[in-house]
Amino acid sequence: MPLMDSKIPPIREHRHPETALAHGGPMCSQKKGKSICPILAQADRSFTQGSICPLLPGLGIMLSLPDTLVLLHGAVGCGSCAHGNNVNIRVGNSVRGRPSGDALWLSSALDEINVINGGDEKLARALVEADKLYHPKVIIVVSGCLPGVIGDDIDAVSAKVQDEVSAKILSVHCEGFKSRFMATAYDVVYHALGRGLMPEPSEVKTKDQKRINVMNVGSMGLGDEKELGRLIGEIGLEANFFPVFAHPESLRKAASASLSVSICPTHDDYFLSHLEEKYSIPYIIRHMPIGIKNTSRWLEGVGEAMGLASEAKKVARAEEKELGEALKGYKEFFKGKRAFLSAGEYRSLATASLLKELGFQIVAIRSFHYDGFADVEIEKLTKDSSEEIVFNVANVQPFEEANLLKRLKPDIFLGHWHGNSTAARLGIPTQVIYNSGYGYMGYQGAFDLARRIERRLKHPFFYKRLETEGRLSYRKSWYAKDPFSKIRSYEAL
Amino acid sequence: MTDLISGENFLERPRWTCALGGALAAAGNLPDTVPILHAGPGCAGNFAWTNNGAAGLAVTGPCLGLSVPATNLQESEVVFGGIERLREEILETIEIMEGGLYFIITGCLPEVIGDDVSSLATELNSTKHPVVLASTPGFKGDSYLGYGEVLKTLVKDVVRKGTKKNPKLVNVWGVPPSFDPFWRGNLLGIRELVGLLGYEANVLFGPEANLNTIKSAAGAKKNIVVSGLYGQEAAELFSELHGVDYVEAPLPFGAAASERFLEILGQALKVPKKTLKEAVSGARERRYSYLEPLIDVYNDMEAQRHVLVVGDANYALSLADFFSEDLGWVPELVVVTNSLAKAEKEKLLAFHKKTGGQKISRLIFENRAHAIREKALEVWNGNGKKYYDSKTPIFVAGSSLERSLASELGAGHLSLCYPVSNRAILNRGFTGHFGGLTLMEDLVSVSVAGR
Repeated sequence: MPLMDSKIPPIREHRHPETALAHGGPMCSQKKGKSICPILAQADRSFTQGSICPLLPGLGIMLSLPDTLVLLHGAVGCGSCAHGNNVNIRVGNSVRGRPSGDALWLSSALDEINVINGGDEKLARALVEADKLYHPKVIIVVSGCLPGVIGDDIDAVSAKVQDEVSAKILSVHCEGFKSRFMATAYDVVYHALGRGLMPEPSEVKTKDQKRINVMNVGSMGLGDEKELGRLIGEIGLEANFFPVFAHPESLRKAASASLSVSICPTHDDYFLSHLEEKYSIPYIIRHMPIGIKNTSRWLEGVGEAMGLASEAKKVARAEEKELGEALKGYKEFFKGKRAFLSAGEYRSLATASLLKELGFQIVAIRSFHYDGFADVEIEKLTKDSSEEIVFNVANVQPFEEANLLKRLKPDIFLGHWHGNSTAARLGIPTQVIYNSGYGYMGYQGAFDLARRIERRLKHPFFYKRLETEGRLSYRKSWYAKDPFSKIRSYEAL
Repeated sequence: MTDLISGENFLERPRWTCALGGALAAAGNLPDTVPILHAGPGCAGNFAWTNNGAAGLAVTGPCLGLSVPATNLQESEVVFGGIERLREEILETIEIMEGGLYFIITGCLPEVIGDDVSSLATELNSTKHPVVLASTPGFKGDSYLGYGEVLKTLVKDVVRKGTKKNPKLVNVWGVPPSFDPFWRGNLLGIRELVGLLGYEANVLFGPEANLNTIKSAAGAKKNIVVSGLYGQEAAELFSELHGVDYVEAPLPFGAAASERFLEILGQALKVPKKTLKEAVSGARERRYSYLEPLIDVYNDMEAQRHVLVVGDANYALSLADFFSEDLGWVPELVVVTNSLAKAEKEKLLAFHKKTGGQKISRLIFENRAHAIREKALEVWNGNGKKYYDSKTPIFVAGSSLERSLASELGAGHLSLCYPVSNRAILNRGFTGHFGGLTLMEDLVSVSVAGR
């Protein structure tokens, strides 16, 4: 049975049993299970700091969808991060020329009585009331931890009231305790979109030979979309971006595209196989278009798949040449400077490749999780390279990072949103590794990031003051310990 | 199935997070304190992004954001219990993180699965490494409740019984970190006011607080609660356990409210009448000399406004008073956004009256944007008449969520109440005479931004 036919999609660790959360050591090849430093899926930590569950990245996508109401089913705080997501939604709509109002989210705000008696009836009433009041086209019911523990059935409730409700109801399972990996978010959201908003294969009359699906991610902005759209356009194709900020129509259009291409493999694999299975759309899932070679590989891959190999090659060579000229002075300045990166798996690895191209030495990469998709990126960084890179798999865990930073003393730190403050407090200039207001992807993004990092390094004075004034809460004795001493590596069962 | 539009089945864009979030903002901003979350794996990240979009960009402290020790409970713990995981986490936290107080706060999961956290906290508590607990599952209530639970734990388990008297100390309650987005500056302003009477304020949270002062708070002369709803229970408990009673005063935005604050506290402390009078007149004169440059423009630009105030129990009432008394603006509609039971509403209104608050012509309890809009359109609607009091120009003093309404009304707007997504807030606050001047600067600056 196709996975999409079940009510609830499998969690990441079931689909990708190699997915790991805790690892530290020198980066080395993970090829074909012959690694001399294997990353163990079972490993965990005896000390952990707070993290992110699928709800946060999931909401980043869901709240961006036009005419969509998100109904959070859980305690009142569950999904309050929507206030943070909303900032991105307002700006994202505004730059796309849409009304820049607030995203619409509600909470069923389960209380003690609901916990005892169940929240199904409250949810049913909320769905009917919300539909009448706000008239959305789509209502996405999102389940937090509580309904998963008290046994509410959001799918059954949604099905039961669907006839009374004009909006199409989708249900998304974001019970944080059920998966260790926030990447499960992408699967659960795609699962709902695929089941609820895509046409039947019989409705797809003809394929559009020029249109390809480009799956965007919540961490990229319109600037990056424009750059990738430009490159796709240069070889004579048209990009259909979704799901982030995509109108339901883009999803319907997705079913008639000639190819699907991923920007972030760990983000997209679930849905790409669905599109192939259901609509016979072939897909490419390798390389993130961050970095010069990575962008060329990505673009040439599209060209090859669409019978436009020579066109793509021609565009790539010309772009590389032009960019190479523009980067000369920057490369000179960056040469030998030491960089430390920390973010989502693919983002951190691909950005490390870019930084290497810019002349940096990579001293450490922290990846929020590890799965098999990383192997090819690890190869790119380790093959023919004698430099030792520390590789730390951690769902943030700043205590390990603080310890590593004290030892490695990098010149620049590139981190995830809300993951840069440890380095900043130690006085290390930081460059946020994604921010939807700025460019990172394609050739233009490579240049723009270089320009911004140079500015950071030449004007580090905000950080220089923090170097003497900044405070962290770790004991001195912690810095003397092995940064990975709290990781428990169990032998594979 | 009901077709009733009741507002009871959901909250629209809730203007707070859960009890755990309120407790984390409080415990994480106690001096020298390490909070420990016993909760699901996403709660910390959820609160970090909530703060980013709602608390004036204030995301993190050394033990907040994604740095807070947390058990990140998974399915196995939900099935088999999470208490051993918590034991390990606490012991490791003490080993790795430096603090004078380790503060466990619990979320939904351990409370539903029945972890006995209280016994564990008692077992691990020691003089060298004090461990305390507040039970704050999200289903128990909102952030204000979480703030209150942290206060109660302080009163019960951190404040030492029978400490030496400190006749110059006053404990301050009722300003919830984060959920009052200007809490740091507001506590600073209150500290200055208390200082005018020759006393020292123990403000509990933030840069001006001190853990030793909190521990010896039982020696204080008096408690003051600057809220009609928040911190009241803790102050009651304090009086019961430590024999120090409390007085209530409004959150003192600006000159008039500050003077009431000084009167109320001064009388409670039995400050000699002359000292009190001098304190008030000194502050008044100083304020006036800074206010003076605005007088021309206030006149010439007709800088008077009709105001829609939308805020929580603290802000809505204190802002309304500030507008009426300090600025001469006209609060036309005041919206209190908390979800409150009838008794709480009555208590709040009684507090407002008792502490000398101004009469408010229209006050409603509501937090849904569409319902607030409907009420506002009742006030600002000429019904097509040629001659009518349009009650313009309009100003909306609310949260960031009131921006679209303000634009529909053609009104000025300033984000003052949670959620504040579009301002950076560091030391700014509106309490005290100088805080009132800051608020005037902010409000008038919005009105003249197009010059």
